[in-house]
Amino acid sequence: MLAGSLLTLLAGIGVVRFTDVFVRMHALSKASTLGLLLVLVGAALALDHPNDITSLMLAAVLHVVTSPIGNNLIARATYRAEGIPTGIDTVDELAEVRGTPADE
Amino acid sequence: MIEGAYLALVLAAACFGYRMIQGPTMADRVVGLNGFVLVGMSSIAVHAVDTGRGAFLPVLVVLALVGFLGTAMVARYIESRGQ
Repeated sequence: MLAGSLLTLLAGIGVVRFTDVFVRMHALSKASTLGLLLVLVGAALALDHPNDITSLMLAAVLHVVTSPIGNNLIARATYRAEGIPTGIDTVDELAEVRGTPADE
Repeated sequence: MIEGAYLALVLAAACFGYRMIQGPTMADRVVGLNGFVLVGMSSIAVHAVDTGRGAFLPVLVVLALVGFLGTAMVARYIESRGQ
């Protein structure tokens, strides 16, 4: 649980320090998913009532299932929206792919 | 150990709050809001271990679902509005 909280703190520092939206999203999603999982599993080991353990496990599974979907939606919306500085300045492969008449 | 977990969560909440207030674009604010929901879930779990009673633990399930729905809705809004 302490390790999970420290990982969440690390995600917070990353969100404050990093430079653009995609890098911040990267720091938040990965570190915080592992952090929340560690906290919930630690709490499930510390508590002993079956109702509590079921709630903790259900919340962990829901977060693991929904967090990548939500972050993917945010990243796609940010990429498609106009006027957001994204920091993509090297090779933008997605723009080349989207230039071709492929189905979206 | 519980105190250390509380301290780390409070500092992380301060970081996410700074990003949510300061963030230049709306996507940054959504990232901060996601982190805030996450800190809330973690602190509910830590508090349940601290007091030994798990009356608030179903709130975790609700918070996971509501956080995802809010993120999806704001993503649609950003895509249509920009900035």
